[in-house]
Amino acid sequence: MDFVNPGALWWLLPLGGGILLLYLLKMRRKDLKVPATFLWPPFRSEVRANALFQRLRFNWLLVLQLLAILLILFALAYPQVRREGLAGEVTVFVVDTSASMSAVDASGSRFEAAKRFLHQALGNARPGDRVSVIEAGPIPRVVAPLSGDMGKIRAALRDLQATDCEADIGEALRLGAALVGDLESARIVLLSDGAFPEIEDFSPGKAKVVFQRIGVSGENAGIIALGAAETPSGKQVYCGVTNFGTKYVTGTLSLHAGGRLFDSRKVEIPPGETLGVNVAAPRGAKIVEAFLETDDLLAADNYAAAVTDPSASIRVLLVSSGNIFLERALALDPRVTLDRAASLPETERAGSLGQSAYDIVVFDGVAEKRVKARGVLSFGVAGSPSPVTVSGSVKNPLFIDADAEHALMRFVDMRDTYVAESEQASPKPQGVVLAESSAGPLIVAADTDKRQIYVSFKLLESDFPLQVGFPIFIANVLDYLAGEGSADVFSIPTGKPFSVPAPPGVDSARLKTPDGTTLKLEAAGGRFVAHNLLKAGRYELRVGDRKQTLYASLLNERESNVQPVAELRLGGGEVSATSAGFRLADFWRPLLLLALLVLGVEWWVFARRS
Amino acid sequence: MAVSVDQFILDPREFRLLDGLRLNPRKPAPGRVRGERLTKRKGISIEFADYRDYTEGDDLRHLDWNILARLGIATIKTYQDEEDLAVHLLLDATPSMDFGTPSKFVQARRLGCALAYVAVCGTDAVYPLALGCREEPKRAHRGRSGYRRLAAWAAGVSPEGKAGVAESLRLFASGNARPGLAVILSDGLDPKVTAALRTVAGRGHEIAFVQVLSNEELDPDLEGDLRLVDSEDDAIIEITAHGQTLREYRKRLEKHCTALAVECRRLGGRFLQVRNTDSLPTVMADGFKREGWVTAWTS
Repeated sequence: MDFVNPGALWWLLPLGGGILLLYLLKMRRKDLKVPATFLWPPFRSEVRANALFQRLRFNWLLVLQLLAILLILFALAYPQVRREGLAGEVTVFVVDTSASMSAVDASGSRFEAAKRFLHQALGNARPGDRVSVIEAGPIPRVVAPLSGDMGKIRAALRDLQATDCEADIGEALRLGAALVGDLESARIVLLSDGAFPEIEDFSPGKAKVVFQRIGVSGENAGIIALGAAETPSGKQVYCGVTNFGTKYVTGTLSLHAGGRLFDSRKVEIPPGETLGVNVAAPRGAKIVEAFLETDDLLAADNYAAAVTDPSASIRVLLVSSGNIFLERALALDPRVTLDRAASLPETERAGSLGQSAYDIVVFDGVAEKRVKARGVLSFGVAGSPSPVTVSGSVKNPLFIDADAEHALMRFVDMRDTYVAESEQASPKPQGVVLAESSAGPLIVAADTDKRQIYVSFKLLESDFPLQVGFPIFIANVLDYLAGEGSADVFSIPTGKPFSVPAPPGVDSARLKTPDGTTLKLEAAGGRFVAHNLLKAGRYELRVGDRKQTLYASLLNERESNVQPVAELRLGGGEVSATSAGFRLADFWRPLLLLALLVLGVEWWVFARRS
Repeated sequence: MAVSVDQFILDPREFRLLDGLRLNPRKPAPGRVRGERLTKRKGISIEFADYRDYTEGDDLRHLDWNILARLGIATIKTYQDEEDLAVHLLLDATPSMDFGTPSKFVQARRLGCALAYVAVCGTDAVYPLALGCREEPKRAHRGRSGYRRLAAWAAGVSPEGKAGVAESLRLFASGNARPGLAVILSDGLDPKVTAALRTVAGRGHEIAFVQVLSNEELDPDLEGDLRLVDSEDDAIIEITAHGQTLREYRKRLEKHCTALAVECRRLGGRFLQVRNTDSLPTVMADGFKREGWVTAWTS
């Protein structure tokens, strides 16, 4: 038996002592002379006292009062007992649906075991219990809101699916805390193997967190790295396979390029070791897929894909003193490989030796310079290569108009954008004004030997990064600057949303998943966004006549290490795993009822005597 | 409380009520002087007792001449003797009698005087004694004139005796009092009183117990936490007076009184319980007369 508030038991000393003291006090009785005393029964039921002291005598009222106070204090101490099942009075089940939960070490997968636990808990729930279920996937969501209708919750569980993604457990727990964190007796039960990083910035509020560990073994090997690199001897494909278990792993590692096998080898990986494989990439290969055939717990990490065609990715150099808005907007595009620098490296200046390592250079508040990259985006400070001539600066320019037909400005609404200060610029002959303010051009584009986009204000001197149109503008910029060379083959991490611009006149797209299911995507904000890339494998996205292939891979060391943990670190505190499926059931109500009953008996005894 | 001798304890109307009555003991008792009570002894009354052979010196007036004539045997007729009745008026003067309004002692004294008046009017000898007080035995009071002295004695007694009723009764039994009717007027609130009654009866006395209880004793109205002090021995008992306590008290009182009554009847005596507020006519009519304590004078 546990006590939520054991401190209440300390009140037994003063209260019980107080009651005893009252019984030690002596009654000062009224003297009365009677003819004979032998006829009077020595019945005494002292309920008042007005003198000190007397020997403590047995009294049923004293016993009943002490019993009642004991019961009340026990109830206040909020006792809990272990009961079969996980449901309690108010319980939020957070079900980990991350890739590691697909490990098959618990009579089926861990995810199925979690669902069984969940069904068992719902079956053991008492009338009046309320339960909610939260899916802790890449994007946590409430599967079943707080309800006492167990049938409805069971029905909602059918939609709960395991994923091949990294889960955001912290956000799911925070969601649970937001649901029940202000309830005294609530519990947040996390059904997980604990294979996720420490969660900081989490407080369960008044709720109690219970970690139901699922899974027993960590015998797993997985592909943790796959890519291609240019070397003096040509393009090389590298692949890293790690054995996270405690036994040797043997298997076959196969590499495919464009669907064709180009390398296959037996591998034997010692416990805790990583095996690296370097193979020359086949000529013209755009995508490389790796398959690991071995008898381990998790299948999702036995597959990985990587794009080897440089055109399939956009390498962006951000020259900035720091701009989180811009970094995040750029990183939203799965094609983008982002590097940051405070100033332009000499190797990227025009005229230096060698090819540019980047497709696009973004100058954020830094004067634009001539670069070797084929696309340039500059904010706030024009340089000599910019498509504008600057004559000064102006305060609070007012947005006037934008060319909504241009590919760069599609679905970008700048009407409510506030700009504190901008450069007063006039476009050069090659410059095309795409947006104009009361002080002159706001956005100017040029398409000569390279594509340039000039924005006349610094992002941090406006509220443009907070506008809905900003990420759309950045996506448009990437599509524009990357040019026609933008590939139709993408490699993305599982669980990350993927978006492509919607061509004019196309409202819907079709996404074919690895299991053959075809999903229909609707255009929103000029883009098609796919949120359903939850399984590792090959996806096909058809937008009009254009077909794009998406390869989703787990490639996540934390998820591949499926060893269940015994203790979690949540918000700075530790939560131990429970060994069995039980719940802590309150029983302060029966105690309180018993206390009332005892008080009733005490009153009856008192009334009978008086 | 001082009582004037002139008041005679009873008022004239009550005296008239008592005139013409005589005590009616269950059994005869040996007398000391000639009286009006038949005894077992042979005497010279008109009540025939038996025949016996003539012996020299017998009174020839009692010779049965018919038997002598027919059978030739000289036979003497014997007659029962008539003597006076010794009535011991035992008035409880212990402090326990000083309760109630009027007090039990006042009521006991009135009833005792009434019975004494009936006795002396019937030529019985009345020996008054205050129980609880150490006093010398009194000489017998006889005749109407004797009642005056009796009333004076009763008026001088107050309920301040130091000894208990049972102890006083034992003392009385161990004395030289001649057997007779022991009229005990007491509340009987002594746990040893029944044993004392057996001692008295063992000395040949007929017990006539008048138990006087106050309304407050029969139906006490106590409440709260009390320390009860015994009026006679200062014994203390602490109680909380509530329904259960009062129920238990009534039960015990009834048990004690019943035991007292049963013991009196078992000893061949009489028992009567009266309240301190009962009037003398009521007690006479519903008690003494109905129970046969007194009868109308017929001779």
